Amino acid sequence: MVSNAPGSPTLHSTAAMAVELTGITKRFGAFVANDGIDLAVRRGEIHAIIGENGAGKTTLMNILFGLLQPDEGSIRLNGEATVVADPAAAIKAGLGMVHQHFKLVPSLSVADNVFLGMEIRRHGLIDHKAQIARTQELSKRFGLHVDPTERVGLLSVGIEQRIEILKVLVRGARTIILDEPTAVLTPQESRELFQTLRSFVAEGMTVIFISHHLEEVMEVSDTVTVLRNGRKVATRPTSELSKDELVRMMVGREVSFDRRPRAAPDGDIVLDVKDLWARDDRRLPAVRGASFTVRSGEVVGIAGVAGNGQTELAEVLSGLRPASHGEAWLKGQDLTTLSPAAIREAGLAHVPGDRMVRGVDRNASIAANTLMGRQHRAPWSRNGMLDWKAIAGNAGALIKGFDIRAQGADDAVKRLSGGNIQKVVLAREFTNGADFLLIDQPTRGVDIGAQEAIHDEIMRQRAAGRAILLISVQLDELAALADRILVMFNGRIMGEVAGDDADEDRIGMMMAGVMPQLEPA
Amino acid sequence: MEILDKLINVALIAATLRTTAPILLVALGGSFTTKAGIFNIGLEGQMLARAFFAVIGSIWTGSAFAGVACGVAAALAFALAFAVLVVTFRANEVVVGLALNILAGGMTISLMKAIFGTRGSIVGHGIVGLPKVQIPGAQALLGSWAPLISGFTPIVYVAFLAVPLLVLFYNRTRLGLYIRVVGEKPEAAEALGISITRVRYIASLLCGLLAGLAGAHLSLGYITMFTENMSSGRGFMAVAILIFSNGDPLKVLAGCLLFGFADAFSLRLQTFGFPSYLVLTVPYVVALTALFALSYRARPKIIKETLASMQKLLSADRNSAQVDKNPQ
Repeated sequence: MVSNAPGSPTLHSTAAMAVELTGITKRFGAFVANDGIDLAVRRGEIHAIIGENGAGKTTLMNILFGLLQPDEGSIRLNGEATVVADPAAAIKAGLGMVHQHFKLVPSLSVADNVFLGMEIRRHGLIDHKAQIARTQELSKRFGLHVDPTERVGLLSVGIEQRIEILKVLVRGARTIILDEPTAVLTPQESRELFQTLRSFVAEGMTVIFISHHLEEVMEVSDTVTVLRNGRKVATRPTSELSKDELVRMMVGREVSFDRRPRAAPDGDIVLDVKDLWARDDRRLPAVRGASFTVRSGEVVGIAGVAGNGQTELAEVLSGLRPASHGEAWLKGQDLTTLSPAAIREAGLAHVPGDRMVRGVDRNASIAANTLMGRQHRAPWSRNGMLDWKAIAGNAGALIKGFDIRAQGADDAVKRLSGGNIQKVVLAREFTNGADFLLIDQPTRGVDIGAQEAIHDEIMRQRAAGRAILLISVQLDELAALADRILVMFNGRIMGEVAGDDADEDRIGMMMAGVMPQLEPA
Repeated sequence: MEILDKLINVALIAATLRTTAPILLVALGGSFTTKAGIFNIGLEGQMLARAFFAVIGSIWTGSAFAGVACGVAAALAFALAFAVLVVTFRANEVVVGLALNILAGGMTISLMKAIFGTRGSIVGHGIVGLPKVQIPGAQALLGSWAPLISGFTPIVYVAFLAVPLLVLFYNRTRLGLYIRVVGEKPEAAEALGISITRVRYIASLLCGLLAGLAGAHLSLGYITMFTENMSSGRGFMAVAILIFSNGDPLKVLAGCLLFGFADAFSLRLQTFGFPSYLVLTVPYVVALTALFALSYRARPKIIKETLASMQKLLSADRNSAQVDKNPQ
């Protein structure tokens, strides 16, 4: 299975390893974030750790950096068994970590931020000149272009990241961990970052870098470790891997084909998306010219590695993000011109990808959560007053109908399990009378039993003639439910696969950005 | 012209420096807590309590400096109580500050009754005031301008010298830097292993130290007495100045000078027969006007944002209206 599985003789002497993790297991309650992970990182290499959201990458790195303590397993740094009790111990052992969220002080200069906590002092006073000179020197040596005297508050995110890297360097790190470093960068800034990473290994340092972007992993890393669902899938030299192999390892080979039986959809077109474009939060194009239709009684799946524009597409269709170009017609109305409330009136039900942020108010009761979005309608609102009896009655019916495991309608949503919270969202959205259901990652973080129930419910909605757009990063889910699967890569729809011959290889190729043969790339 | 000459002269400027000193000290003290991210509304009460204990100390020991030390000790005790409640037990800082203000007001009155058997004020009883520092050679050097630099109590000099020292402190010392970081971005401090609790305690105690000096200046400086509520809102004015200066020492100085000048000016006006109640409002009116002028600059942004969101709403309506007119 794996080239350096535990027990097999390692190819390199122990001292050549900058980092060795053995059998790392970390549980959060019943959830196993890391399950017996082994990881060996050679000194002087760029080692990418790739996996989808929730695969356990960040947890593993937080354990290595001492931010979390493993439940099981051991850590060796440069061949020596080490207990990394806290980040201070990690820094002392020559580790440095650049987090996803920067921790810089806006009113201080770049140099002050770099040296914060280890100021250069002369006669008890901070020596700003020396700090500026040293920052300048490091910034030149590794191509991290910054002006040490500028105030951090005025700088872009890309430059902030350089400052975080400088902070790590100043603390004498020889092994540098970067958590999704390119997530906040423009393509240009990403290329510059990769050059910097190469200059690190040229000086004998080691880089561990977390990503879920195939392209950049292929471009910059020497070795790749793939994680999936908290387990290590494999560690391989990058040169021996192709992109679609990598995708298959990331999303999982075992696509189960327990496809739901169905009749061919023949309803009218409900949603018609024409050449839709949208930008992400960094103002970069995230959806690029998407065109597709969804018919009544049809489930259209959107597949793709997370972060390829699916989230932005869902946000545009639900009115949460403006389209930069194009149209999306829902029963004669262009959604791109409407507010979220107007879109819901026009006939959209939305199961958001992140239920805790946009799906529910976690502190409110089940009754209140099943009401949201239709509080102005009869019979829940009469003469401008809410009729809580009717609301609670309706919530009680939904709790029964959707098998929500709760004490009662007054239960706060935060007391429910992930699967039951998702059922609250489904119960509200699916009883909305909407013709178009936008369903984003319906079973993320949901246990198997609830998954089955949610899938059954989606199929019931299909049978009732609803038009359904199902966005999921789980291929088996799409293969089970979708009539057609569209594959998104880098904001584009790469191609379409019929649900009943969901060819995993073909989908994998498109997820990795390789066009099907009929369409030239 | 003659009146103006009488109004604005060397004596007025010297008076301005004198009236500025206590509010400057208390505001500079508050600068530590402001920078460390604590909104310290208790400055008024801290100042009052210190003024009282300085008088007590002065009476009991017969020494003005021991009185000051006594005031400072009381100040540190108050600051420690504040820090324990706010930093360690995470109590709401406004509630604690208000409570300490009320406590100081009530405590000084009841202690006055208990110790001296009087209400209202403590005069006489052998209170020793602070000596005035005559700088040698000032008279020869500056002639009639000499009162500008000479003849103040030591605390006035401390107050004005503290300004450049604080600038240096915040920019060039590690502790000053950490206080700023803890106030501005506590998560950055935490990530670097800087103890937020420790830094906030230190900031609270430093604040108590300077506010203690300010209180001592009130009761042992130019008048040697204690009266009920003698801080008369200076602590609150310091809080207002801190909000608008963000605790920057130079901005604090500017704000305090403005208030001090208005204070001195109002005293001067009284001698010209203006109704005294009206005149006493002058410093507060001036300070409020200045603060309003400062905050007015921040207004256009809010208006702009409101306009932008309204425009967005309107254009969405217009778009949907267009769609209604020509459906697909």
